[in-house]
Amino acid sequence: MKSALTWDVVAKCSTTKGRAAVLNLPHGPVNAPVFMPVGTQGTLKGITPQQVEGLGCQIMLNNTYHLGLRPGQELLDTCGGAHKFQGWNRNLLTDSGGFQMVSLLKLAEITEDGVQFESPHDGSLMLLTPEHSMSLQNSIGADIMMQLDDVVSSLTTGPRVEEAMWRSIRWLDRCIKAHSKPESQNLFAIIQGGLDPELRKKCIEEMVKRDTPGYAIGGLSGGEEKDKFWRVVTLCTDQMPREKPIYCMGVGYAEDLVVCVALGVDMFDCVFPTRTARFGNALTSTGTLGLRQSKFKDDFGPIEEGCDCITCKTYTRSYLHTIVTRETVGCHLVSIHNTSYQLRLMRQIRESIIEDRFPQFIHKFFKDLFKEKSAYPEWAVNALRSVNVDLLKDE
Amino acid sequence: MSPLTFNIIRQTTQRSAARRGTLVMSNSGTMNSSSTETNDDSTSASKRAIETPGCFMYSVKGSVPHLTPDTLRLQDFGGVHISMEHLLQDHQPNGFEKWPSQLTISKYLNLQDMIVLCDIRDPSKFVKAPLNSDRFVSMMTHQGVRQLTMEEYLKVVRVYQPDIITTFADNVSDPLEPGQKRIRKSIERSLKWLDLVLAERQGYDAVSHDRALEEAKKKEKKEKKEKRKAESQGNDSDNEQDSAVTTSNIATNDYPAPALGAPEARNAAQTAKPWTNVSVFAHVIGSQIEQERIRSAVETSKRSEVDGFVIDTNIIGGSKDEVFGHLKTSINHLPAEKPRLVYGMQAPEDILRSIAVGADLFDTSYPFQLTEDGKASLYSFGSSATLSPFETQLYHSTSGTNRWINLWDDEHVDKFVPLLEGCECYACKDGRHSRAYIGHLLRTHEMLATVLLMSHNMHQYSKFFACVRESIQDGSFDRHAKEFHDQFGVEPKPTGQLHAAQAAVEASISRRNRLDDEPGKEGSSTTRADSKDASTEGNRKKKPRGSFVNKKELKLEKQKLRQQQAAQKEDQEPTQNA
Repeated sequence: MKSALTWDVVAKCSTTKGRAAVLNLPHGPVNAPVFMPVGTQGTLKGITPQQVEGLGCQIMLNNTYHLGLRPGQELLDTCGGAHKFQGWNRNLLTDSGGFQMVSLLKLAEITEDGVQFESPHDGSLMLLTPEHSMSLQNSIGADIMMQLDDVVSSLTTGPRVEEAMWRSIRWLDRCIKAHSKPESQNLFAIIQGGLDPELRKKCIEEMVKRDTPGYAIGGLSGGEEKDKFWRVVTLCTDQMPREKPIYCMGVGYAEDLVVCVALGVDMFDCVFPTRTARFGNALTSTGTLGLRQSKFKDDFGPIEEGCDCITCKTYTRSYLHTIVTRETVGCHLVSIHNTSYQLRLMRQIRESIIEDRFPQFIHKFFKDLFKEKSAYPEWAVNALRSVNVDLLKDE
Repeated sequence: MSPLTFNIIRQTTQRSAARRGTLVMSNSGTMNSSSTETNDDSTSASKRAIETPGCFMYSVKGSVPHLTPDTLRLQDFGGVHISMEHLLQDHQPNGFEKWPSQLTISKYLNLQDMIVLCDIRDPSKFVKAPLNSDRFVSMMTHQGVRQLTMEEYLKVVRVYQPDIITTFADNVSDPLEPGQKRIRKSIERSLKWLDLVLAERQGYDAVSHDRALEEAKKKEKKEKKEKRKAESQGNDSDNEQDSAVTTSNIATNDYPAPALGAPEARNAAQTAKPWTNVSVFAHVIGSQIEQERIRSAVETSKRSEVDGFVIDTNIIGGSKDEVFGHLKTSINHLPAEKPRLVYGMQAPEDILRSIAVGADLFDTSYPFQLTEDGKASLYSFGSSATLSPFETQLYHSTSGTNRWINLWDDEHVDKFVPLLEGCECYACKDGRHSRAYIGHLLRTHEMLATVLLMSHNMHQYSKFFACVRESIQDGSFDRHAKEFHDQFGVEPKPTGQLHAAQAAVEASISRRNRLDDEPGKEGSSTTRADSKDASTEGNRKKKPRGSFVNKKELKLEKQKLRQQQAAQKEDQEPTQNA
């Protein structure tokens, strides 16, 4: 199908499956691997669009389901799409709303036709079909739009998983058919199939035939065992075409990002950095700081030494301890730091791939974060070993 | 010498006492411009001035609400007001255990380019606090009522080294008209405290000296009492008179004015480190009794070391006219050459009236309150205040006023126009953000709503003051003040009720929270954190501060952090989207 992007691989890691690339989208280039902050309702949690841009963010997420409820399609059409609506001139990716089948399950009913949601705001019903999702996403005008998929929790087993996989393929066909702006918006397919390698392979085989501009690995990050998670990821990246971007949905913990890049993933999103910020948790290369803890009240250092975000340049842990979870400014400051941390981590990964020292980067990253080799998560050790990086051996 | 200077540039010669000036903090007096500081300090410091009439930015816990340092710098105010009661935790502010000696409150709060004024109480509202005593003043911290002693207050001042502090004052906060005796007592106390503070500033151990004197007197009194007991009943009255004279240097009834500079406070040893780099503003009090207001103003003015005055009208009971009368009484008895900071006058027309009686400085709690209510300012002052018929029609919304619009009103949901056409604030500039978008942010309970509204409302407030200053300069203040009144009327009385749309959003959030509280929904509840930020009840009067945190989520987050830190185990939960 038509594509509104170009995918230029800049460098490939000579050890792992990691790669550095430039994804050229209608609203500018995106350096991959990339972490995409999540602005569900058309805003990134109290951070102004200018600030988000200042952090070096080139692409942000919005959510179709939520924007479809409020402000609604009509208003999005009136103002000319979500970029204009929120004053954001860089790229947007919209999720189809499929994930809300899992997260709002109580409010959702799934049929072959689509997903019926009950509005949590006023109790009214909304039927989200592949056609409706496409129509909404066309109104939103995101640079990358996701197909509506039939998402089942990754903990689900049995025939429901296979049913969801086949339905996702059928819905992809309906999405492609309904997509009215393939020349300016890119539709990504979402691979389903739960934790079953055979279903995943089948799904990839079918979806690759549809030749969408990019592919996403869906249905993960739902509380499954991490050892199963990474095996599905690596299986998918092996099976998927290497000349297109690969997006792993809902992944955002730092160690997961590092491992998944090594397994060949290019794009990520997660609400974690901004959500955890609102509870006063700051991300650093040596672990998370719970700034509410009283030990920080006499700590006059920045969240992270060497961080160039406005929070670290201007405020101490002591003052942040005073305002986190109490003042909105506290939220904004930690959200800015955490987003800055995530984006910087991805830049560092990218640079290390370009300079072909990604394995060394991985070693240092795990050493900083976990200190002791004995503390390294087993799944990460196994996953990285599968791409020729042995964390337990010295470099 | 105080580093603060106040220059009056122009005084209106017409009916009003409005005046235009500049409050400047010079750097030479700053002892703390330590060698470790970078040179951006010296460049930013050159801006440390407040044009008057003007404002200190109102802050909560040392931050101007909703504005991060970069968005704050887009505002055109030269100072920030800090309330100690916001920052005190347990018995002292955070960080005091290991506070680095060269650190000042300005640097701690990243406000080195501002004039930082530190008061004890929150200037934005009247909060009834329990009574003060000779030993302490009461204040409301987020942990409840706390008593601040003079020793603790001085410690905060010495550690924080703000540019300006206001004195420890016994501001009687009883709206039910405290009696003249109590008011007199409060003035007496406040003057004594003022003398102690001024002596301490020069390095006298005035407070400990005073405490020692008190102890001695107490002891003396006790001894006399015992002696008296032992003696016959006939001598009683004589003794009492004696003790009255010795226990109080200031007679209770018609007390003589303490001498200038209050020498008795300076009988103390001069061994402490002076903090003459800190300017002192004195509270002028007296409740609703004219005679007492005059007394307070006159006596406080006699202390020539006082750098400025504070008049808190929040705590004066009575009608608006009465309150203005009291304000005027106080100001009329203050020296013309020193600045006057007024609390409790917030809405533009009140500001204008206060300026007309000679007030110089205010705080920005008005734009903050508008922001919390979801309102965006439209009012303006001076020649720019004339609205075209089209604008009048556009602005005249269902809220029944043309001084602001309420973004909770449905009429704005499809208005893809700026809050105010031609406004140069962060939100409006270049048509960046529309009314529709900000209304959307309010309805989705997104924090960017208040960021944008605050940027706009603060900008409009500062523009209002700039136009007022201009009008004083060119002599058109009285005329424009009247025009303002004709054009924008007065601030509608707050109903105390949430806007219906806001109440609906909060009700929906609390409904969703209840859904989440049902068992077996834990996983999904965390994924939805982004869209349900508050656990507020439907028809509550005011949104609680910090409502973006929900207790149950907090507990979950805590658990997760513990798990993560303990083992960095693979307990990933669904985080896709939200």
